[in-house]
Amino acid sequence: MNEELDSQLSAMFDDELPAAECELLARRLSRDEQLKARWGRYAVIGATIRAERGVRLNAGLARRVSAAISSEPVLAAEPAPQPKKQWARSWWQPVASAAAVAGVAAVSILWMRSQSPEVTTEIAQTAPRAVAPLTASATAATNAVTGEPDSYVVPKNTARRLVVPSTELANYVVAHSEFSSPVTRRNLLSAFMASESGTAAPSAGSEEPTEDVQDDDAKNPQ
Amino acid sequence: MSADISDLSLVRRVQRGDKGAFDALVLKYQHKLVKLVMRYVRNPAEAEDIAQEAFIKAYRALPQFRGDSAFYTWLYRIAINTAKNAVVSRDRSPIEYDLDRNNTDESYDMQGRMKDAETPEGLVLTDEIRSTVNAAIDALPEDLRTAIVLRELEGLSYEEIAAAMDCPVGTVRSRIFRAREAIDRRLREVFEGGLGRVEELG
Repeated sequence: MNEELDSQLSAMFDDELPAAECELLARRLSRDEQLKARWGRYAVIGATIRAERGVRLNAGLARRVSAAISSEPVLAAEPAPQPKKQWARSWWQPVASAAAVAGVAAVSILWMRSQSPEVTTEIAQTAPRAVAPLTASATAATNAVTGEPDSYVVPKNTARRLVVPSTELANYVVAHSEFSSPVTRRNLLSAFMASESGTAAPSAGSEEPTEDVQDDDAKNPQ
Repeated sequence: MSADISDLSLVRRVQRGDKGAFDALVLKYQHKLVKLVMRYVRNPAEAEDIAQEAFIKAYRALPQFRGDSAFYTWLYRIAINTAKNAVVSRDRSPIEYDLDRNNTDESYDMQGRMKDAETPEGLVLTDEIRSTVNAAIDALPEDLRTAIVLRELEGLSYEEIAAAMDCPVGTVRSRIFRAREAIDRRLREVFEGGLGRVEELG
């Protein structure tokens, strides 16, 4: 027997052989019965030094285990680390669930949008108009984009965004009508009517046409 | 040196389908495992049966072993559980020879096994092997004997032994190897000399 090989075997028995050499020697050890017998004797020496009483060397334990293992199926070529799979499943499942929920929500939103296109256009129209009184240039730009006439159209549902409740506004107008000028009164009443019609919009339905204040002014000039 | 590297290399081979590598693991740990199991059962024959069962269970479970702990630690747990289960199932089953005194053959066998547990010949390494190993150790030069005893009895690593003996690690490796070779040479003589009752060395 090669002395260097035996020296490696002794070091491997003590877990003191470098990993690369261990790999090579393990391969040889698993096939070389003479080397395996020496390996077994090293174990006997250790057990004797440690005075491991109760061990019967003639019991044939290793041989019985080997015989039992020989009837066992060969293990898979690649080990399947079960805990790792469980770990992978543990983070994958919530992510998949969240993705599924998000997907359903996205489809629902798209479906709702496709079912009520006027809501979309209404929002697109009302958003720029909400700032229209503030900046004339912004209004012009918006109209240029939408291609609509330069007129003030009060949508039915914009009143939902009004801060002042319409009832209070009406009470205010009625209470101060004597003291206000006709022009101011008219403007307030117009705003009131617009807010009232906007408040009533949800119950009347979104398909109700919007009211054109400019047209209304044309019909009822003062 | 990373601990358990040699066991791990053998384990990986078994996991790839090399059953021969498992024999090496059994040869290495069978004595430790039987000693461990004998904490739970006093009968050495029963301890060997339990150790055998533990090894087979370990083989079957080896695909799940990832090497997070040392192989022997993992095997240790399997053996402990197997021993505990064996004790529980044995306690649930009443010993028949106590109940059925007419069955003389069976009661004799059980008494024989119990008696065997108390007989040194049935429990320990054969006297001849033990005396041979002990004589070989005594005959070793002091540095070799110290190295092998520190390794096997105290479980020190080569680095720790090197520090204790104030010598390089390579020297420790060489000393331990030469000590083993000297003992093994005497041991082989005993076996080849016709120790018929020793069927195998491990």
